[in-house]
This record gives sequence, structure tokens and C-alpha cells, in this order.
Amino acid sequence: MQLSMRRLLDKAFAGTGVVSLVLLGAALLAVLAPIAWRGAGAFVFRATIEHRRLMLAMFSRGNPAEVEAAVARTRAAREPVYKMIADFEAQLAAGDPAQRHKYAKPLRELKARLRDLFGPFPGEPRPVLMRDQYGQTRWDRARVKLHRVLFREEYDYSDPTQWGRKVLRPRQEEFQGTAVEPLFAYLQAHAEEMFEPRWTLYWRFFLDESRDAHFFGGIGAEVLGTFYLALGAMLVAVPVGVAAAVYFTEYAGGHPLVGLLRTFISTLAGVPSIVFGLFGLAFFINTAGVSRSKSVLAGSLTLGLLVLPMIIRATEEALRAVPWTYKEAALSLGAGRGRVVATVLLPAALPGILTGVILALGRAAGETAPIIFTAAVSVGKPLHVWQTLSQPTPALSWNIYNLATEHAAADEIRHVQYGMVLALVLIVLLLNVAAIVLRGRLDRRLRG
Amino acid sequence: MGVATVSSSPTSPSGGHLKRPGEVELLLRKGALVRRRLVILVGHGVLLAVAAASAAAILFVFYSIARDAVPFFRVRGFAEFFTGTRWYPSAHPPAFGAVPLFVGSALVTLGASLVALPLGVAVAVCLSDVIPFAVRQWAKPMLEILAAIPSVAYGFFALVVLAPLLQERGGPMLALAAWLVGAPLAALGVYVAGSSLVMRLPARWRPWVRPLVFALLAVGAVLGLAYISGRLKMVIVSSGTNALNVSIILGIMALPTVASVSEDALRATGREIREASYALGATRAETMVRAVIPAAASGICAAVMLGIMRVLGETMVVWMASGNAAQIPSPWYNLLAPVRTVTATIAGDMGEADHMTGSERYHVLFALALLLLTIAFVLNLLSEWALRRARRGGH
Repeated sequence: MQLSMRRLLDKAFAGTGVVSLVLLGAALLAVLAPIAWRGAGAFVFRATIEHRRLMLAMFSRGNPAEVEAAVARTRAAREPVYKMIADFEAQLAAGDPAQRHKYAKPLRELKARLRDLFGPFPGEPRPVLMRDQYGQTRWDRARVKLHRVLFREEYDYSDPTQWGRKVLRPRQEEFQGTAVEPLFAYLQAHAEEMFEPRWTLYWRFFLDESRDAHFFGGIGAEVLGTFYLALGAMLVAVPVGVAAAVYFTEYAGGHPLVGLLRTFISTLAGVPSIVFGLFGLAFFINTAGVSRSKSVLAGSLTLGLLVLPMIIRATEEALRAVPWTYKEAALSLGAGRGRVVATVLLPAALPGILTGVILALGRAAGETAPIIFTAAVSVGKPLHVWQTLSQPTPALSWNIYNLATEHAAADEIRHVQYGMVLALVLIVLLLNVAAIVLRGRLDRRLRG
Repeated sequence: MGVATVSSSPTSPSGGHLKRPGEVELLLRKGALVRRRLVILVGHGVLLAVAAASAAAILFVFYSIARDAVPFFRVRGFAEFFTGTRWYPSAHPPAFGAVPLFVGSALVTLGASLVALPLGVAVAVCLSDVIPFAVRQWAKPMLEILAAIPSVAYGFFALVVLAPLLQERGGPMLALAAWLVGAPLAALGVYVAGSSLVMRLPARWRPWVRPLVFALLAVGAVLGLAYISGRLKMVIVSSGTNALNVSIILGIMALPTVASVSEDALRATGREIREASYALGATRAETMVRAVIPAAASGICAAVMLGIMRVLGETMVVWMASGNAAQIPSPWYNLLAPVRTVTATIAGDMGEADHMTGSERYHVLFALALLLLTIAFVLNLLSEWALRRARRGGH
């Protein structure tokens, strides 16, 4: 082969490697960027007067006098809209039945869209569902809903060779020449006055309970549930894992049976997480009966089993990394084996073990499949500690799935879903970064 | 202090000349000695029990899953489950042919492997031998973060971001991807093929044949790529939740596993082999391809198997974004078809079978889980064996 070609191939080889590394970074960015950007939108957004009204009514936050004043201002701004509708209705009631018939359906639709935007009309009875009691609390959602007031979405099937095309038809056309016609121009011109949007930091999104199936409020119950589950898993896995690792490194010796036990443990690490979930259901709930149905306890036990191999491996590595001299020094002072482990090896290995535990905590917090059948429910209150023994809980991971796929209005509450994903990813990544930093320190200490 | 003396004295041969008054007394306190022995024994026993129990957990998982899977096979036999192509567990009469699920899992695994294996091995090579140490310190945490992101977050991304994108501009995106991947490969291919063709010709023809050959090949490559991307552009993605979507995401998820295990294997081959190859005049690419990668082959195999395990066992992404249609895509390699995998079936159907413990619908899910567990077990043993071989080969 020519030398120039060999050189080119060599360059191409290195280039392929670098390009794939760049691709990896791009993939990471592509996944994290939308989550971070849209997720931040759950915490920082332009909140409308409806949001402030809701916060005052539900959580008693905000200055009542100020909110009252703002509500009065926005109500005044909305008044002409209602007046136009009322006038038109009165006109129809008094006039020609053919007219009445012609405008019945468009008017009904318009009113429904307006209710979506502003909440119930003044004087209407209070709706049962909370989502119907308030208008749009977020300015971005209000804009979307306003657009739906202004335009009607239709599908055009006139061309039989093509898929139906989406067409936007201004509603104004439907009400040409009526008392309602100026309404649309008014809405467009005075949208901000009717909502008074204001940039708001809603950090309590993390802690607030959700209201009306996540239409309003935050993700407090889910965060707490994830916390319980992950912590419970650690309570199960850490003592067992550390003890097993101590046995393997300090007591087992080179017996062939020990190799078999190790193989078993690495197999446990390779079991698909959904199988753990099924096992948790079949054993912890149906056979052992730790609780009558799903509970945090059953979920924690299942997750504990899932992270057990991680803990064992991390602890073994940490124990092996302790310099041999530490142990010899302790033994030469006359300490027994148990004492060496308890007072010398474990303290020296503690940072390493802690790193493993932090990583396992992140893993347990992020897992979904094992808790589907053992611990998770879609809607629930935050639990007290003693309730964890018998009650299921909402959890971030499960509720992300549930809200994104099974919620009746998944499109309406994208911001909540993104907020949840961001919360979960942040929790897991912060734990991981903590572990990486801790390990970096550790490396330096053991090296120096 | 006293206890320490007791325990060390009987074993220490030099204890004789250190005898002080009082030690005899301590030695004679047999009760303490026995108690201490007992404590050690019990401690040892407890540790052994815990270690054995955590190792036996896998057997217990196996037993529990198998115990609930057996009733299904006892009633329905094996034939339908392993060969049937109709999966209608809630129909009357129900059909439990799991082949569509196997095909779904296999297709998704294949697609993810196409993403993760080349990319993962390339990243591993890059990390171990190409980039400088300082960059590596930044790249490694990137892999760890990629591995740490919870699967439900990936699933959410697949469902909410990638699926609409694929559905609306699937064709153009595929065409773009074809150009991005194809163009560099084609350029390289043209150069290599052109040079080796020209080399075979007599020397006096070369100067004027060379540009001709290159131009012909380049035009051919561009036309070929244009044809392929044109065809891809016409592709209509009727639903964004399909096997392709899931394959891409699962490939990204398996990437860290493949990359870091392969990198370990590449590093474990040691300096000597590289230096020997360089001393013979090989370039870096030749060293890697001809010497280092073959030496690390078993480790890379283990990485591949671990990556496949990760993909095969993944639930949330496939459940959320694969379309969940229990049908065999036609043709079988059609990545744009919605599929349903074994794991997603377990997750999705158990919700409905939840309260019907003892029904066939309940037990068939355990049969699926048993199959999954067996595959994971075999793959794990194979990868373990390969890793052990790699370790032995490295030293």
C-alpha cells in the first residue's frame, strides 16, 4: 500500500473516533437541552392573574389586597367580551328563529373556547372540576387557548390523493356582521390586560401537592415518594451489601464456591429491571405478604435487591483499594480480624463505599419498571413515614410515564411533565456529579 | 487491652518472655476466651449467611418467576407460546403466540446495536488511544452522565420530542442522516478503491488514468448517495412511535456500556503490544486494527453482550415509544413499523392482569419474564467468560 494512503487511513481512523465522540456529546446535548429548557419552564414562567388567584385560594400565598385589585382590573378588561356575547344572545332570542339556529353551534363553540381561556362566565354556577374553575394560569397556555378562540382548526379533504390538510379558519368569519364580530379584534388587542402576565419564579413547584390531577400545583408528593423509595432501598441494600462485600474480600479466601457466588451476584446485576418488578409482585406482595397490595415497603425491598450488586461491587473495590500496609499495621498491633475490618478497613474505605451508595441512590431514584407493580400509584397524597409500610405512593419516575401517556389531557400539562423530568434528571445527575467529585478526591488521596 | 492480650498470647510464640504478673490470670479466664471465640464465630457465620443470601437471591428470583410461569406452560403447552404469531391475551378465546413479541424485541435490539456497536467501539478506541489525557478526563464523565439518565427520561424524550419530529419530517431527516453518514464513508471508499485500482495498472498509464478513475468513482458515489437519500426522503413515517425511534434511543442508552467496557478491554492489552507494532512501522490505525483490537476481542465481545443485555431488558423507552403493536413488521426488517417488545408487554399487560392472580394472562407474563431471565443469564455467563479470557489474555 502507498504511504500516502496509509497516512490517510490513519487520519480517517482517528477522525472516525473523534467524530463518534462528538456525536456522543451531541446526543447528550440533544437529550438534555429540551429537558432543561422546557423543564425550567415549570419553575419560571409568565404567570397570569389566574395563577395568583389560585395560589391565594389554594395555598394562601400572595397579598390578598393586591390580588383582589388585579382581579378587579382584569375583570373590567374582560367585561366587554361578556357584554358582546350577552348582547348577541339577547338579540338572537328576540329575533328570527332561522338566525338563532344558524348561530347556535358556532356560538356554543365560541363560548366553550372562551371558558377554556377565562374560566366560567360571570354569574355561571361554580364548575365541579377545579380545572374548569380557573382560566389559564400560564401566559404561554393562555396564548394557545386564545389562538383557539380566534381560529377554528379544520381538516381539508378536498384533494383525495393527499392526507387531510390542517386549515385554520378565523372564527370572525362565522360571525360576520353580528354584534360578536368586534370581539375578536378586542381579544387580540387587550389580551395582556385581561391576564396581566408577570414573570414568576414558582420554586414551590418542587414541594407543592398537585391539585386536580396535576392541572395545578406542583410535584411534592412525587418527590417525596421518590425520596422514600430510594432511601428505603438503601436501608435494605447497604447493610446487606457491605456485609457481603466484607465477607467476600476479607473472609472468603479463594474457595471455588466463592467464585460461583460472585457469578451469581453479577448475574443479579444483569437481570432486567422489569423482571425485578414481577419478582417483587410475586414474592414480596403475593407470597410473603409484606403488605396487602402495593406499598413503599415492597417497592423499597425490590429496588434494594436491584441495587444490591452495585453496592457489593463498590464496597469490594473500596476495600481492595485500602493499602495492604494499613491492615498489616493493625494486625501487628494485635487487633483481631473483626476489629481490623471495623476500625481500620471500613473507615478507610468509607469514601469509596459512599461513592457507590450515592450512585446506587441515583439508580434507585430513577428506576421505573420495578415499582410499577410494587409501589407506584398515579394519584396520591404525600405519605407520612409510618404509612410507607402499607401505602403506595406516587413517584417521579412512574408519574412521568403516567402523565405523558395516560393522562386525559397530556398535551395541556406538558410543562408539568417536563418539570418532573427535569426534577428527576437533576436529582440523579447531582447525585452522580457528587459521586464523580468524591471519587476524584479519593483518587488523589490514595495516589498522594 | 486485656482482651487483646488474651487473644494474641496463645498464638504468639514470643509471649513467654513478656510474661507479667496478671497475665496468667487473664489467660485463665476461660469464659472470656470462649465468649470471644463465640463472637468471632457468630460474626463470621452472619457474614457468610448474608453473603450467601445475597448470592442466592438470583436463584430465588429464578424460582419465584419460574413457579408462576409453570402453570401457564402446564395448561397451554409450549408450542403455541413459542411458535404462535397471534398475541391476543384478552380475546375470547385468548391467543398467546409470543413470536411477534420476540420479533419486536429482536428488531429493536438489532436496530440499537447498529447504533451502539460501531459508535461505542469507535468511542472506546478514541478514549483509549486517540485523544489526549486531558480531553479524556472530560469525556469519561460524559459517558457516565449518559448512563445515569433514568430510562423514563429517555422514554419521555423519545415520545415527546423525537416521535413528533420523526412523524413530521421523518423522510428529510433520514435523508440528511444518510448524507451525514454516507458522505465521509463514500469519500474514504472512493479514495481507497481508486488508489488500489490505479495501483494495478502499468505505471505509464497512471498519471492520466488516475483523475479519470477518481472522477468516475466520485460521480458514482454521489449519484448513489443522491439516489438513496432521494428514496429516503420519500419515506412517509405514519407514526413517530416506531422501532426506529426506539432503536436510536436504546442505542444511545447502550452506548456508555459498550464504550466503557470496550475501553477497559483495550487498555488492558497493555503497552508492549502497541510498542511492538509501532516498532514494526505500523501506523496507529494499523496498530489498533491489526494488533490491539484483536487482542482485546474477547473484552469487546463482553461489551457487546452487556450492551445487548441493556437493550433487551429496557422497559420504559420501548413501552412509551415503540407503538406497542403486537404484530410482525412486514418486511421483517421494517424499522418504521410499530412493534411491541417482551418487556413492554410485561409492563403493559400486568396493569390489566393485576387483580387476576391465577389467570392465564397473569402467568403468561411470568413465562415471558422467565425467558428474559434465561437469556440475561446466558448472556451474562458468556460475557463473564469473555471478560475472564480478556483478563487472562492481557497479562
